[in-house]
Amino acid sequence: GKHVEILDAKTREKLCFLDKVEPHATIAEIKNLFTKTHPQWYPARQSLRLDPKGKSLKDEDVLQKLPVGTTATLYFRDLGAQISWVTVFLTEYAGPLFIYLLFYFRVPFIYGHKYDFTSSRHTVVHLACICHSFHYVKRLLETLFVHRFSHGTMPLRNIFKNCTYYWGFAAWMAYYINHPLYTPPTYGAQQVKLALAIFVICQLGNFSIHMALRDLRPAGSKTRKIPYPTKNPFTWLFLLVSCPNYTYEVGSWIGFAIMTQCLPVALFSLVGFTQMTIWAKGKHRSYLKEFRDYPPLRMPIIPFLL
Amino acid sequence: MAAAAATAAAKGNGGGGGRAGAGDASGTRKKKGPGPLATAYLVIYNVVMTAGWLVIAVGLVRAYLAKGSYHSLYYSIEKPLKFFQTGALLEVGIVPSSVVLTSFQVMSRVFLIWAVTHSVKEVQTEDSVLLFVIAWTITEIIRYSFYTFSLLNHLPYLIKWARYTLFIVLYPMGVSGELLTIYAALPFVRQAGLYSISLPNKYNFSFDYYAFLILIMISYIPLFPQLYFHMIHQRRKVLSHTEEHKKFE
Repeated sequence: GKHVEILDAKTREKLCFLDKVEPHATIAEIKNLFTKTHPQWYPARQSLRLDPKGKSLKDEDVLQKLPVGTTATLYFRDLGAQISWVTVFLTEYAGPLFIYLLFYFRVPFIYGHKYDFTSSRHTVVHLACICHSFHYVKRLLETLFVHRFSHGTMPLRNIFKNCTYYWGFAAWMAYYINHPLYTPPTYGAQQVKLALAIFVICQLGNFSIHMALRDLRPAGSKTRKIPYPTKNPFTWLFLLVSCPNYTYEVGSWIGFAIMTQCLPVALFSLVGFTQMTIWAKGKHRSYLKEFRDYPPLRMPIIPFLL
Repeated sequence: MAAAAATAAAKGNGGGGGRAGAGDASGTRKKKGPGPLATAYLVIYNVVMTAGWLVIAVGLVRAYLAKGSYHSLYYSIEKPLKFFQTGALLEVGIVPSSVVLTSFQVMSRVFLIWAVTHSVKEVQTEDSVLLFVIAWTITEIIRYSFYTFSLLNHLPYLIKWARYTLFIVLYPMGVSGELLTIYAALPFVRQAGLYSISLPNKYNFSFDYYAFLILIMISYIPLFPQLYFHMIHQRRKVLSHTEEHKKFE
Protein backbone atom coordinates (compact mmCIF):
# COMPACT_ATOMS: atom_id res chain seq x y z
CA GLY A 1 0.00 0.00 0.00
CA LYS A 2 0.94 3.69 -0.13
CA HIS A 3 1.40 6.24 2.61
CA VAL A 4 -0.38 9.54 2.57
CA GLU A 5 0.60 12.54 4.63
CA ILE A 6 -1.64 15.57 4.74
CA LEU A 7 -0.14 18.97 5.49
CA ASP A 8 -1.80 22.32 6.04
CA ALA A 9 -1.32 24.33 2.82
CA LYS A 10 -0.63 27.57 4.69
CA THR A 11 1.36 26.51 7.74
CA ARG A 12 2.81 23.22 6.36
CA GLU A 13 1.86 21.69 9.69
CA LYS A 14 1.50 17.93 9.53
CA LEU A 15 -2.18 17.26 10.08
CA CYS A 16 -2.52 13.61 9.37
CA PHE A 17 -0.54 10.55 8.35
CA LEU A 18 -2.35 7.66 6.73
CA ASP A 19 -0.37 4.48 6.28
CA LYS A 20 -1.31 1.46 4.19
CA VAL A 21 -3.62 3.29 1.81
CA GLU A 22 -4.73 1.22 -1.17
CA PRO A 23 -3.01 2.49 -4.35
CA HIS A 24 -6.32 2.56 -6.19
CA ALA A 25 -8.01 4.58 -3.46
CA THR A 26 -9.70 7.75 -4.66
CA ILE A 27 -9.30 11.24 -3.26
CA ALA A 28 -12.89 10.93 -1.99
CA GLU A 29 -11.86 7.93 0.11
CA ILE A 30 -8.80 9.75 1.43
CA LYS A 31 -11.04 12.67 2.39
CA ASN A 32 -13.22 10.30 4.36
CA LEU A 33 -10.17 8.93 6.17
CA PHE A 34 -9.02 12.47 6.95
CA THR A 35 -12.42 13.34 8.41
CA LYS A 36 -12.00 10.51 10.90
CA THR A 37 -9.03 12.28 12.49
CA HIS A 38 -10.47 15.78 12.05
CA PRO A 39 -14.27 15.44 12.24
CA GLN A 40 -14.86 19.19 11.96
CA TRP A 41 -13.54 19.06 8.39
CA TYR A 42 -16.14 16.98 6.61
CA PRO A 43 -15.18 15.94 3.06
CA ALA A 44 -17.16 18.72 1.34
CA ARG A 45 -15.04 21.41 2.93
CA GLN A 46 -11.70 19.76 2.16
CA SER A 47 -9.57 20.91 -0.69
CA LEU A 48 -6.64 18.56 -1.22
CA ARG A 49 -3.88 19.37 -3.65
CA LEU A 50 -0.44 18.23 -4.67
CA ASP A 51 0.93 21.76 -4.49
CA PRO A 52 -0.01 24.22 -1.75
CA LYS A 53 -0.91 26.81 -4.36
CA GLY A 54 -2.12 24.40 -7.01
CA LYS A 55 -5.52 23.27 -8.17
CA SER A 56 -7.74 21.08 -6.05
CA LEU A 57 -7.65 17.39 -6.77
CA LYS A 58 -10.91 15.85 -7.88
CA ASP A 59 -12.78 13.31 -5.79
CA GLU A 60 -12.54 10.77 -8.60
CA ASP A 61 -8.75 11.04 -8.94
CA VAL A 62 -6.98 7.80 -8.07
CA LEU A 63 -3.98 7.83 -5.74
CA GLN A 64 -1.67 5.70 -7.86
CA LYS A 65 -2.33 7.79 -10.96
CA LEU A 66 -0.96 10.89 -9.21
CA PRO A 67 2.67 11.95 -9.68
CA VAL A 68 3.76 10.90 -6.18
CA GLY A 69 6.20 8.44 -4.63
CA THR A 70 5.44 5.77 -2.03
CA THR A 71 4.46 8.54 0.33
CA ALA A 72 2.06 11.01 -1.17
CA THR A 73 2.16 14.50 0.29
CA LEU A 74 -1.13 16.30 -0.01
CA TYR A 75 -1.83 19.87 1.03
CA PHE A 76 -5.11 20.70 2.73
CA ARG A 77 -7.12 23.88 2.55
CA ASP A 78 -10.35 24.47 4.46
CA LEU A 79 -13.03 25.69 2.08
CA GLY A 80 -15.17 26.89 4.95
CA ALA A 81 -18.61 25.77 5.95
CA GLN A 82 -20.43 24.23 3.01
CA ILE A 83 -24.04 23.94 2.10
CA SER A 84 -25.57 21.73 -0.55
CA TRP A 85 -26.62 23.24 -3.85
CA VAL A 86 -30.05 21.69 -3.49
CA THR A 87 -30.60 23.41 -0.14
CA VAL A 88 -29.48 26.76 -1.52
CA PHE A 89 -31.70 26.51 -4.58
CA LEU A 90 -34.76 25.44 -2.61
CA THR A 91 -34.33 28.27 -0.13
CA GLU A 92 -33.61 30.98 -2.66
CA TYR A 93 -36.62 29.96 -4.83
CA ALA A 94 -39.15 29.29 -2.08
CA GLY A 95 -38.63 32.84 -0.80
CA PRO A 96 -39.83 34.73 -3.89
CA LEU A 97 -42.77 32.37 -4.29
CA PHE A 98 -43.96 33.08 -0.76
CA ILE A 99 -43.00 36.77 -0.62
CA TYR A 100 -44.76 37.71 -3.84
CA LEU A 101 -47.97 36.18 -2.52
CA LEU A 102 -47.75 38.30 0.63
CA PHE A 103 -47.93 41.39 -1.58
CA TYR A 104 -50.52 39.89 -3.92
CA PHE A 105 -52.92 39.21 -1.05
CA ARG A 106 -52.10 42.63 0.39
CA VAL A 107 -51.24 41.30 3.78
CA PRO A 108 -51.47 44.05 6.48
CA PHE A 109 -48.67 46.59 7.08
CA ILE A 110 -47.55 46.73 3.45
CA TYR A 111 -50.05 49.09 1.92
CA GLY A 112 -52.47 51.38 3.78
CA HIS A 113 -54.88 49.61 6.17
CA LYS A 114 -57.86 50.31 3.97
CA TYR A 115 -56.30 47.99 1.36
CA ASP A 116 -55.69 45.00 3.67
CA PHE A 117 -56.67 41.75 1.95
CA THR A 118 -58.25 43.59 -0.97
CA SER A 119 -57.85 42.41 -4.52
CA SER A 120 -56.66 44.31 -7.60
CA ARG A 121 -59.23 45.15 -10.25
CA HIS A 122 -56.69 44.69 -13.06
CA THR A 123 -56.61 41.33 -14.83
CA VAL A 124 -52.91 41.71 -15.58
CA VAL A 125 -52.11 41.78 -11.85
CA HIS A 126 -53.72 38.36 -11.38
CA LEU A 127 -52.01 37.06 -14.49
CA ALA A 128 -48.66 38.35 -13.25
CA CYS A 129 -49.11 36.51 -9.96
CA ILE A 130 -49.84 33.28 -11.81
CA CYS A 131 -46.78 33.71 -14.04
CA HIS A 132 -44.41 34.64 -11.22
CA SER A 133 -45.62 31.79 -9.03
CA PHE A 134 -45.49 29.32 -11.90
CA HIS A 135 -41.92 30.39 -12.62
CA TYR A 136 -40.72 29.67 -9.10
CA VAL A 137 -42.73 26.46 -8.68
CA LYS A 138 -41.11 25.28 -11.91
CA ARG A 139 -37.68 26.16 -10.53
CA LEU A 140 -38.35 24.28 -7.28
CA LEU A 141 -39.54 21.17 -9.10
CA GLU A 142 -36.57 21.29 -11.47
CA THR A 143 -34.23 21.50 -8.48
CA LEU A 144 -35.82 18.43 -6.94
CA PHE A 145 -36.35 16.30 -10.04
CA VAL A 146 -34.47 17.56 -13.06
CA HIS A 147 -31.09 19.11 -12.39
CA ARG A 148 -27.95 17.00 -12.01
CA PHE A 149 -25.40 19.04 -10.11
CA SER A 150 -21.66 18.65 -10.77
CA HIS A 151 -20.78 20.02 -7.37
CA GLY A 152 -22.47 18.84 -4.21
CA THR A 153 -21.85 21.96 -2.16
CA MET A 154 -21.03 25.64 -2.20
CA PRO A 155 -19.70 27.96 0.53
CA LEU A 156 -22.25 28.78 3.21
CA ARG A 157 -22.03 32.56 2.75
CA ASN A 158 -23.52 32.14 -0.75
CA ILE A 159 -26.93 31.36 0.67
CA PHE A 160 -27.09 34.76 2.37
CA LYS A 161 -25.89 36.55 -0.75
CA ASN A 162 -28.26 34.66 -3.06
CA CYS A 163 -31.31 34.92 -0.85
CA THR A 164 -30.82 38.65 -0.38
CA TYR A 165 -30.76 39.02 -4.16
CA TYR A 166 -33.77 36.83 -4.99
CA TRP A 167 -35.91 37.71 -2.02
CA GLY A 168 -35.05 41.40 -2.19
CA PHE A 169 -35.95 41.78 -5.84
CA ALA A 170 -39.08 39.67 -5.45
CA ALA A 171 -40.32 41.95 -2.67
CA TRP A 172 -39.39 45.06 -4.63
CA MET A 173 -41.23 44.13 -7.83
CA ALA A 174 -44.17 42.53 -6.01
CA TYR A 175 -44.66 45.77 -4.07
CA TYR A 176 -45.30 47.77 -7.23
CA ILE A 177 -47.23 45.23 -9.27
CA ASN A 178 -49.69 44.62 -6.44
CA HIS A 179 -49.86 48.23 -5.33
CA PRO A 180 -53.33 49.83 -5.18
CA LEU A 181 -51.97 52.60 -7.43
CA TYR A 182 -50.58 50.18 -10.03
CA THR A 183 -50.95 51.42 -13.63
CA PRO A 184 -51.68 48.69 -16.21
CA PRO A 185 -49.65 48.54 -19.46
CA THR A 186 -50.02 51.44 -21.91
CA TYR A 187 -51.09 49.25 -24.86
CA GLY A 188 -53.56 47.27 -22.82
CA ALA A 189 -54.62 43.70 -23.59
CA GLN A 190 -52.52 43.57 -26.79
CA GLN A 191 -49.35 44.23 -24.81
CA VAL A 192 -50.29 41.72 -22.13
CA LYS A 193 -51.07 38.99 -24.69
CA LEU A 194 -47.81 39.48 -26.53
CA ALA A 195 -45.86 39.51 -23.29
CA LEU A 196 -47.62 36.37 -22.07
CA ALA A 197 -46.75 34.59 -25.30
CA ILE A 198 -43.09 35.51 -24.90
CA PHE A 199 -43.15 34.38 -21.29
CA VAL A 200 -44.81 31.02 -21.99
CA ILE A 201 -42.57 30.23 -24.95
CA CYS A 202 -39.47 31.04 -22.93
CA GLN A 203 -40.62 29.00 -19.95
CA LEU A 204 -41.19 26.00 -22.21
CA GLY A 205 -37.85 26.65 -23.89
CA ASN A 206 -36.01 26.90 -20.60
CA PHE A 207 -37.59 23.66 -19.37
CA SER A 208 -36.74 21.87 -22.63
CA ILE A 209 -33.11 22.85 -22.28
CA HIS A 210 -33.01 21.66 -18.68
CA MET A 211 -34.39 18.30 -19.75
CA ALA A 212 -31.94 18.05 -22.64
CA LEU A 213 -29.02 18.82 -20.33
CA ARG A 214 -30.25 16.24 -17.84
CA ASP A 215 -30.36 13.58 -20.53
CA LEU A 216 -26.76 14.34 -21.45
CA ARG A 217 -25.61 13.07 -18.10
CA PRO A 218 -26.48 9.68 -16.56
CA ALA A 219 -27.67 9.71 -12.92
CA GLY A 220 -24.86 10.01 -10.39
CA SER A 221 -22.21 10.77 -13.00
CA LYS A 222 -20.29 13.97 -13.57
CA THR A 223 -19.56 13.49 -17.26
CA ARG A 224 -19.54 16.47 -19.56
CA LYS A 225 -20.60 16.32 -23.21
CA ILE A 226 -21.34 18.86 -25.89
CA PRO A 227 -25.10 19.53 -25.90
CA TYR A 228 -26.84 19.21 -29.26
CA PRO A 229 -30.36 19.97 -30.51
CA THR A 230 -32.88 17.17 -30.02
CA LYS A 231 -36.23 16.52 -31.67
CA ASN A 232 -37.75 19.20 -29.44
CA PRO A 233 -37.77 22.44 -31.46
CA PHE A 234 -37.03 24.49 -28.37
CA THR A 235 -33.62 22.83 -28.18
CA TRP A 236 -32.70 23.97 -31.70
CA LEU A 237 -31.38 27.12 -30.04
CA PHE A 238 -28.32 24.97 -29.21
CA LEU A 239 -27.28 25.52 -32.83
CA LEU A 240 -26.69 29.17 -32.05
CA VAL A 241 -25.82 29.42 -28.34
CA SER A 242 -23.99 27.43 -25.70
CA CYS A 243 -26.40 28.26 -22.89
CA PRO A 244 -29.92 28.52 -24.34
CA ASN A 245 -31.34 27.97 -20.86
CA TYR A 246 -30.03 31.41 -19.95
CA THR A 247 -31.25 32.88 -23.22
CA TYR A 248 -34.77 31.63 -22.48
CA GLU A 249 -34.54 32.80 -18.89
CA VAL A 250 -33.74 36.36 -19.96
CA GLY A 251 -36.57 36.11 -22.47
CA SER A 252 -39.02 35.07 -19.75
CA TRP A 253 -38.16 38.06 -17.62
CA ILE A 254 -38.33 40.44 -20.56
CA GLY A 255 -41.79 39.04 -21.20
CA PHE A 256 -42.74 39.56 -17.58
CA ALA A 257 -41.39 43.14 -17.70
CA ILE A 258 -43.46 43.95 -20.78
CA MET A 259 -46.50 42.32 -19.21
CA THR A 260 -46.32 44.32 -16.00
CA GLN A 261 -44.68 47.47 -17.46
CA CYS A 262 -42.84 47.77 -14.19
CA LEU A 263 -39.37 49.33 -14.05
CA PRO A 264 -38.08 47.19 -11.13
CA VAL A 265 -38.86 44.10 -13.20
CA ALA A 266 -36.84 45.54 -16.08
CA LEU A 267 -33.95 46.26 -13.69
CA PHE A 268 -34.13 42.73 -12.31
CA SER A 269 -34.01 41.38 -15.86
CA LEU A 270 -30.99 43.53 -16.61
CA VAL A 271 -29.08 42.42 -13.52
CA GLY A 272 -29.99 38.81 -14.17
CA PHE A 273 -28.92 39.14 -17.78
CA THR A 274 -25.56 40.56 -16.73
CA GLN A 275 -24.93 37.70 -14.31
CA MET A 276 -26.07 35.03 -16.74
CA THR A 277 -23.88 36.48 -19.47
CA ILE A 278 -20.87 36.11 -17.19
CA TRP A 279 -21.83 32.50 -16.46
CA ALA A 280 -22.54 31.77 -20.13
CA LYS A 281 -19.19 33.18 -21.21
CA GLY A 282 -17.46 31.03 -18.60
CA LYS A 283 -19.31 27.92 -19.66
CA HIS A 284 -18.66 28.69 -23.33
CA ARG A 285 -14.95 29.04 -22.61
CA SER A 286 -14.82 25.69 -20.78
CA TYR A 287 -16.61 23.99 -23.63
CA LEU A 288 -14.09 25.43 -26.10
CA LYS A 289 -11.19 24.35 -23.91
CA GLU A 290 -12.48 20.84 -23.34
CA PHE A 291 -13.79 19.98 -26.78
CA ARG A 292 -11.66 20.48 -29.91
CA ASP A 293 -14.66 19.95 -32.17
CA TYR A 294 -16.94 22.47 -30.50
CA PRO A 295 -19.34 24.04 -33.04
CA PRO A 296 -17.81 27.36 -34.09
CA LEU A 297 -21.09 29.12 -34.91
CA ARG A 298 -22.21 29.12 -31.28
CA MET A 299 -22.12 32.24 -29.10
CA PRO A 300 -22.41 32.07 -25.32
CA ILE A 301 -25.91 33.52 -24.73
CA ILE A 302 -27.27 35.72 -27.54
CA PRO A 303 -27.20 34.30 -31.10
CA PHE A 304 -24.51 35.97 -33.22
CA LEU A 305 -23.97 38.74 -30.69
CA LEU A 306 -22.84 37.85 -27.20
CA MET B 1 -15.89 58.11 4.14
CA ALA B 2 -15.20 59.54 0.76
CA ALA B 3 -12.08 60.92 2.40
CA ALA B 4 -10.95 57.69 3.98
CA ALA B 5 -11.69 55.40 1.13
CA ALA B 6 -9.24 57.44 -0.92
CA THR B 7 -6.38 56.37 1.25
CA ALA B 8 -7.76 52.92 1.83
CA ALA B 9 -7.96 52.30 -1.89
CA ALA B 10 -4.23 52.79 -2.17
CA LYS B 11 -3.51 49.88 0.13
CA GLY B 12 -0.26 51.08 1.50
CA ASN B 13 1.56 52.01 -1.67
CA GLY B 14 0.94 54.08 -4.76
CA GLY B 15 -2.71 53.41 -5.43
CA GLY B 16 -4.55 56.23 -7.15
CA GLY B 17 -1.64 57.66 -9.01
CA GLY B 18 0.06 54.57 -10.27
CA ARG B 19 2.37 52.12 -8.60
CA ALA B 20 6.04 52.76 -7.97
CA GLY B 21 8.81 50.39 -7.08
CA ALA B 22 10.60 52.24 -4.34
CA GLY B 23 9.54 54.07 -1.28
CA ASP B 24 6.68 51.82 -0.33
CA ALA B 25 6.16 49.23 2.32
CA SER B 26 5.52 46.20 0.22
CA GLY B 27 9.08 44.90 0.26
CA THR B 28 12.60 45.53 -0.91
CA ARG B 29 11.88 43.92 -4.28
CA LYS B 30 11.32 46.56 -6.98
CA LYS B 31 7.96 45.86 -8.60
CA LYS B 32 7.70 45.92 -12.36
CA GLY B 33 6.21 49.39 -12.82
CA PRO B 34 4.23 50.72 -15.78
CA GLY B 35 6.09 51.39 -19.05
CA PRO B 36 7.71 54.79 -19.71
CA LEU B 37 4.75 56.22 -21.62
CA ALA B 38 2.26 55.10 -18.99
CA THR B 39 4.52 56.43 -16.25
CA ALA B 40 4.71 59.80 -17.97
CA TYR B 41 0.93 59.91 -18.23
CA LEU B 42 0.52 58.98 -14.57
CA VAL B 43 3.08 61.54 -13.41
CA ILE B 44 1.37 64.26 -15.41
CA TYR B 45 -2.03 63.21 -14.05
CA ASN B 46 -0.82 63.26 -10.46
CA VAL B 47 1.00 66.57 -10.86
CA VAL B 48 -2.09 68.16 -12.40
CA MET B 49 -4.28 66.84 -9.58
CA THR B 50 -1.84 68.05 -6.94
CA ALA B 51 -1.85 71.46 -8.56
CA GLY B 52 -5.62 71.48 -8.79
CA TRP B 53 -6.12 70.80 -5.13
CA LEU B 54 -3.45 73.40 -4.29
CA VAL B 55 -5.48 75.91 -6.30
CA ILE B 56 -8.49 75.01 -4.15
CA ALA B 57 -6.45 75.37 -0.96
CA VAL B 58 -5.09 78.74 -2.03
CA GLY B 59 -8.57 79.81 -3.13
CA LEU B 60 -9.93 79.03 0.32
CA VAL B 61 -7.18 80.93 2.11
CA ARG B 62 -7.50 84.01 -0.11
CA ALA B 63 -11.27 84.07 0.22
CA TYR B 64 -10.98 83.76 3.99
CA LEU B 65 -8.53 86.64 4.14
CA ALA B 66 -10.65 88.77 1.84
CA LYS B 67 -13.95 88.11 3.60
CA GLY B 68 -12.61 88.02 7.12
CA SER B 69 -14.83 85.05 7.96
CA TYR B 70 -14.91 81.34 7.22
CA HIS B 71 -18.60 81.24 6.29
CA SER B 72 -19.76 80.58 2.74
CA LEU B 73 -16.28 80.00 1.34
CA TYR B 74 -17.75 77.27 -0.88
CA TYR B 75 -18.55 79.76 -3.64
CA SER B 76 -14.95 80.84 -4.00
CA ILE B 77 -13.76 77.34 -4.90
CA GLU B 78 -16.92 75.80 -6.30
CA LYS B 79 -15.70 75.44 -9.87
CA PRO B 80 -12.23 73.96 -9.31
CA LEU B 81 -13.66 71.68 -6.62
CA LYS B 82 -16.22 70.29 -9.04
CA PHE B 83 -13.66 70.02 -11.82
CA PHE B 84 -10.90 68.26 -9.96
CA GLN B 85 -13.06 65.99 -7.84
CA THR B 86 -15.07 64.88 -10.87
CA GLY B 87 -11.83 64.48 -12.79
CA ALA B 88 -10.84 61.80 -10.30
CA LEU B 89 -13.20 59.50 -12.20
CA LEU B 90 -10.27 59.02 -14.55
CA GLU B 91 -8.45 57.19 -11.75
CA VAL B 92 -10.85 54.29 -11.84
CA GLY B 93 -9.31 51.58 -14.01
CA ILE B 94 -5.81 53.06 -14.35
CA VAL B 95 -5.30 52.35 -10.70
CA PRO B 96 -3.59 49.04 -9.90
CA SER B 97 -5.56 48.67 -6.69
CA SER B 98 -9.10 47.41 -6.28
CA VAL B 99 -11.41 48.88 -8.90
CA VAL B 100 -14.29 48.36 -6.50
CA LEU B 101 -12.76 50.39 -3.69
CA THR B 102 -11.56 53.15 -6.01
CA SER B 103 -14.84 53.56 -7.81
CA PHE B 104 -16.70 53.48 -4.51
CA GLN B 105 -14.57 56.30 -3.17
CA VAL B 106 -14.78 58.47 -6.27
CA MET B 107 -18.51 57.86 -6.67
CA SER B 108 -19.23 58.84 -3.08
CA ARG B 109 -17.21 62.06 -3.45
CA VAL B 110 -18.89 62.92 -6.75
CA PHE B 111 -22.26 62.13 -5.16
CA LEU B 112 -21.62 64.57 -2.33
CA ILE B 113 -20.45 67.32 -4.66
CA TRP B 114 -23.21 67.05 -7.25
CA ALA B 115 -26.18 65.24 -5.77
CA VAL B 116 -26.08 66.99 -2.42
CA THR B 117 -24.10 70.23 -2.34
CA HIS B 118 -24.75 71.34 -5.92
CA SER B 119 -28.36 70.15 -6.01
CA VAL B 120 -29.51 71.57 -2.70
CA LYS B 121 -28.48 75.20 -2.92
CA GLU B 122 -29.54 75.92 0.65
CA VAL B 123 -26.69 73.83 2.11
CA GLN B 124 -23.98 75.67 0.20
CA THR B 125 -23.72 78.22 2.99
CA GLU B 126 -23.41 75.56 5.68
CA ASP B 127 -20.17 75.38 7.63
CA SER B 128 -20.22 71.59 7.31
CA VAL B 129 -19.35 72.01 3.63
CA LEU B 130 -16.16 73.82 4.60
CA LEU B 131 -15.36 70.99 6.98
CA PHE B 132 -15.28 68.30 4.32
CA VAL B 133 -13.75 70.55 1.66
CA ILE B 134 -10.79 71.28 3.92
CA ALA B 135 -10.43 67.60 4.84
CA TRP B 136 -10.55 66.52 1.20
CA THR B 137 -8.19 69.31 0.07
CA ILE B 138 -5.43 68.47 2.53
CA THR B 139 -5.86 64.73 1.96
CA GLU B 140 -5.73 65.02 -1.81
CA ILE B 141 -2.74 67.35 -1.94
CA ILE B 142 -0.77 64.88 0.14
CA ARG B 143 -2.13 61.84 -1.69
CA TYR B 144 -1.40 63.05 -5.20
CA SER B 145 2.07 64.31 -4.30
CA PHE B 146 2.70 60.94 -2.64
CA TYR B 147 1.89 59.23 -5.94
CA THR B 148 3.93 61.72 -7.96
CA PHE B 149 7.02 61.20 -5.84
CA SER B 150 6.53 57.45 -5.73
CA LEU B 151 6.39 57.28 -9.51
CA LEU B 152 9.60 59.28 -9.69
CA ASN B 153 11.18 56.90 -7.16
CA HIS B 154 11.96 59.71 -4.78
CA LEU B 155 9.45 59.70 -1.96
CA PRO B 156 10.32 61.99 0.95
CA TYR B 157 9.57 60.34 4.26
CA LEU B 158 7.61 63.41 5.33
CA ILE B 159 5.04 62.88 2.60
CA LYS B 160 4.72 59.21 3.41
CA TRP B 161 4.35 60.04 7.08
CA ALA B 162 1.78 62.73 6.35
CA ARG B 163 -0.26 60.38 4.16
CA TYR B 164 -0.42 57.72 6.80
CA THR B 165 -0.84 59.96 9.84
CA LEU B 166 -2.96 62.99 9.04
CA PHE B 167 -5.90 60.80 8.08
CA ILE B 168 -6.35 60.11 11.78
CA VAL B 169 -7.79 63.60 12.10
CA LEU B 170 -8.79 64.35 8.53
CA TYR B 171 -10.93 61.27 8.08
CA PRO B 172 -13.32 61.89 11.00
CA MET B 173 -13.33 65.55 10.04
CA GLY B 174 -14.35 64.77 6.48
CA VAL B 175 -16.97 62.26 7.56
CA SER B 176 -18.47 64.75 10.00
CA GLY B 177 -18.64 67.40 7.30
CA GLU B 178 -20.25 64.98 4.88
CA LEU B 179 -22.86 63.70 7.33
CA LEU B 180 -23.76 67.17 8.59
CA THR B 181 -24.18 68.39 5.03
CA ILE B 182 -26.44 65.53 4.04
CA TYR B 183 -28.43 66.05 7.23
CA ALA B 184 -28.77 69.76 6.48
CA ALA B 185 -30.06 68.97 3.00
CA LEU B 186 -32.83 66.68 4.21
CA PRO B 187 -35.63 69.19 4.91
CA PHE B 188 -35.10 70.89 1.55
CA VAL B 189 -35.17 67.59 -0.27
CA ARG B 190 -38.42 66.66 1.46
CA GLN B 191 -39.98 70.03 0.74
CA ALA B 192 -39.09 70.13 -2.96
CA GLY B 193 -39.55 66.42 -3.57
CA LEU B 194 -36.08 66.54 -5.10
CA TYR B 195 -35.15 63.62 -7.41
CA SER B 196 -38.21 61.79 -6.19
CA ILE B 197 -40.98 60.11 -8.12
CA SER B 198 -44.21 58.85 -6.63
CA LEU B 199 -47.04 56.55 -7.65
CA PRO B 200 -49.06 56.34 -9.77
CA ASN B 201 -46.99 56.55 -12.95
CA LYS B 202 -46.84 54.43 -16.06
CA TYR B 203 -43.58 52.68 -15.15
CA ASN B 204 -44.86 51.60 -11.76
CA PHE B 205 -41.83 52.80 -9.94
CA SER B 206 -41.19 55.13 -7.05
CA PHE B 207 -38.11 56.67 -5.52
CA ASP B 208 -37.86 58.72 -2.37
CA TYR B 209 -34.61 60.67 -2.39
CA TYR B 210 -35.14 61.73 1.22
CA ALA B 211 -35.28 58.09 2.37
CA PHE B 212 -32.34 57.33 0.10
CA LEU B 213 -30.21 60.01 1.77
CA ILE B 214 -31.09 58.63 5.18
CA LEU B 215 -29.99 55.18 4.02
CA ILE B 216 -26.72 56.69 2.83
CA MET B 217 -26.16 58.26 6.23
CA ILE B 218 -26.88 54.96 7.96
CA SER B 219 -24.41 53.19 5.66
CA TYR B 220 -21.63 55.28 7.16
CA ILE B 221 -22.07 53.36 10.42
CA PRO B 222 -20.74 50.02 9.20
CA LEU B 223 -18.44 51.43 6.52
CA PHE B 224 -16.59 54.22 8.35
CA PRO B 225 -15.04 52.08 11.13
CA GLN B 226 -13.95 49.43 8.64
CA LEU B 227 -12.15 51.91 6.40
CA TYR B 228 -10.69 53.78 9.38
CA PHE B 229 -9.24 50.70 11.03
CA HIS B 230 -7.95 49.44 7.72
CA MET B 231 -5.97 52.68 7.43
CA ILE B 232 -4.68 52.35 10.99
CA HIS B 233 -3.52 48.85 10.14
CA GLN B 234 -1.88 50.08 6.94
CA ARG B 235 -0.16 52.82 8.93
CA ARG B 236 1.40 50.33 11.29
CA LYS B 237 2.62 48.22 8.39
CA VAL B 238 3.96 51.06 6.26
CA LEU B 239 5.60 53.21 8.88
CA SER B 240 7.22 50.38 10.85
CA HIS B 241 8.50 48.82 7.62
CA THR B 242 10.14 52.07 6.63
CA GLU B 243 11.90 52.17 9.98
CA GLU B 244 13.46 48.81 9.17
CA HIS B 245 14.40 49.94 5.69
CA LYS B 246 16.12 53.01 7.06
CA LYS B 247 18.45 50.77 9.02
CA PHE B 248 19.82 49.33 5.81
CA GLU B 249 20.13 52.57 3.88
